[in-house]
Amino acid sequence: MAEQGHRQGERAWDPLVRLTHWTIALAIVLNGFLVDGDALTHIWIGYTAAGLLALRLLWGLIGPENARFSSFPISLSAASRHIAGLTRGEHKEHRSHNPLGALMVYALWAMLLLVSVTGVMLESEPFPEHEGEYSQHDEDDDEDQGAEIIEELHEVSANLLLLLAALHVGGVVLESRLSGRNLVRPMIFGDKS
Amino acid sequence: MNDTATTRRIKTDKRRASALAVVLVVQALASVFFIADVGRDLRWGGLNPHSVLEAVVALALVLGTTFGALQMRQILNRIKQAETAMSIASGALFDLIEARFQEWELTPAEAEVALFTLKGLDIADIAQARGAAQGTVRAQMTKVYAKANVSGRGQLTSLFIEDLLATSDGGGSREVP
Repeated sequence: MAEQGHRQGERAWDPLVRLTHWTIALAIVLNGFLVDGDALTHIWIGYTAAGLLALRLLWGLIGPENARFSSFPISLSAASRHIAGLTRGEHKEHRSHNPLGALMVYALWAMLLLVSVTGVMLESEPFPEHEGEYSQHDEDDDEDQGAEIIEELHEVSANLLLLLAALHVGGVVLESRLSGRNLVRPMIFGDKS
Repeated sequence: MNDTATTRRIKTDKRRASALAVVLVVQALASVFFIADVGRDLRWGGLNPHSVLEAVVALALVLGTTFGALQMRQILNRIKQAETAMSIASGALFDLIEARFQEWELTPAEAEVALFTLKGLDIADIAQARGAAQGTVRAQMTKVYAKANVSGRGQLTSLFIEDLLATSDGGGSREVP
């Protein structure tokens, strides 16, 4: 028979998961590498990423089963079992994120949240009329000490976010190689129909 | 391949879900910008009719996004249910066909010809698909009909429909008027 119903066990991401995934990825690449940190565009992209994250988190509460937090709980023991399985060449099918991937997902979200919050705090004026208006930090301001710490935090967490993103890409490539399953495809096309 | 009503409905639902995903993203972004704006207004302007109205709009946007997301989940669930039902149905039919073919002791070649016949291909199509002469295919079909003890294609097909109707008794979700 040409088609048989073998799609049950296969992983399939819904349109909202895919859309938020790639738009957040784009926002991180743009703000991390391409757009100057002092540019107004940087702020807009940052708010956009925060909005996308908020939507994805909402989806984690009320979305379909495999998009929900309950489908990929934080579990160190499950993650270490997963690694052990990988080294033995065992491949278990996961409807949602695998236990190791789940840890990465939460780490990425937490870091993005930290970057967003510190970014908003840095920017007391969300919609400055003119570029540069917001970056006029007077050196001898009382609040300057706090602002500097937050700026530092923003930069450090942003760099950590980029590092995590790189690890995430590496993990996906490695897992795809080891398991012989293309993990990227369902994130682009959803399921195989 | 021809679309059945169910596959058409699944396709429509999938398009709807994709469109809704885009709308939700736009709504979520609008919510964030509105909330940020309300925050700014409250900080600089304090509580006034303008900022209160803006806060209400922001709240409405968040609620709208939430309900949109709930609606989207319903559509996704509907797609999943329809797909599951279809794969169960096609799986059941496939099992039934295989069981019958074994029972009739069809050779692999005869089984393939019989399957093509059930799918509605005519002798010329089957001959072409199998790279065989039409005479060979005709002979194989005659063998199949003889083994199945039926007079022709129509009876062969109706055997399976009969079986399906019989097995779906009670288990299926038939609507009773």
